[in-house]
Amino acid sequence: MALKTRQDKKPPQPPKRSRKSKFQADLAAAEDRMVRGLKQELQLNSNTDFLSDALALFHWAVRERKRGHHIFSETETGERKELVLPRLERVAPELALPRVEIPWTARELESLATLASREPADPTEALLRAMRG
Amino acid sequence: MAVLIRRLEEHDQVELFDCGDEPLNNYLRRHAWANQQKSSIGVTYVAIDEGAPRTVLGYFTLATASVPREAFPKKYVRGLPPYDLPLILLARLAVDRRFSGKGLGHALISEAFKIALRVADDVGCRCIIADVYRDRIDWYARYGFVALEGGAPSGPQRMFLDIRTVRMALKGAIPAI
Repeated sequence: MALKTRQDKKPPQPPKRSRKSKFQADLAAAEDRMVRGLKQELQLNSNTDFLSDALALFHWAVRERKRGHHIFSETETGERKELVLPRLERVAPELALPRVEIPWTARELESLATLASREPADPTEALLRAMRG
Repeated sequence: MAVLIRRLEEHDQVELFDCGDEPLNNYLRRHAWANQQKSSIGVTYVAIDEGAPRTVLGYFTLATASVPREAFPKKYVRGLPPYDLPLILLARLAVDRRFSGKGLGHALISEAFKIALRVADDVGCRCIIADVYRDRIDWYARYGFVALEGGAPSGPQRMFLDIRTVRMALKGAIPAI
């Protein structure tokens, strides 16, 4: 008697390829011009390359803001402009610190008032280093 | 080792943290998370190695406070603005003994100063106050903290740093080209 083998086994499947998604956007004329201009400036040949670079930059910005970091541009003379994008602020952690009561002695309050009403001292070298990092 | 400083998270590994001081160890292990999430008493920031992102290497805790104007003795309020004095309390700062001497304390206090400046920009703050172990007074003084007079003769020393000095340091830290 011949043995029958089961034929209902599925044939081996080729390994799954990672899925690519298509991205289509309706851009206003000005935005379209901006995309074309940027592609030219950045020497990007395809919309895929353009989108890939833009995505990497946006991903980095979101990650930084999630950590509570602020994103600045800085001129050679040290003038800073902060990138504030309402959408990015959605991921920023809450910075608000809780409020506590501190007990003070009368003499500490005198000392605190004296120090706080003085002109501020110049920063020390260690403080300058701390703010450089 | 790439160190990252961020807010304490619930599943951070704090049990093995050992800075050599039991109250500071105990605060991180038992109270820091609850104080941050439930009691809203202080926010703890931790230093972690990006290669082992749950192991806490060091930490500091911040809170805000204010001194009502009427609490100051009358003859001392003349130089102060006519409002309560807002301040930031640097309540604790500690580094695990295994990582001491590697500049982690400097990295932590640097981040504390930067957060203090941002808080000052958002809600106002005149100074940073730290309660400092007496054997660490010199370390804080290097950053410009000044001892307040009139505290208890034993126990931590309360120290003061003007936020305007920190702001000046930030401006001075920007390299001039």
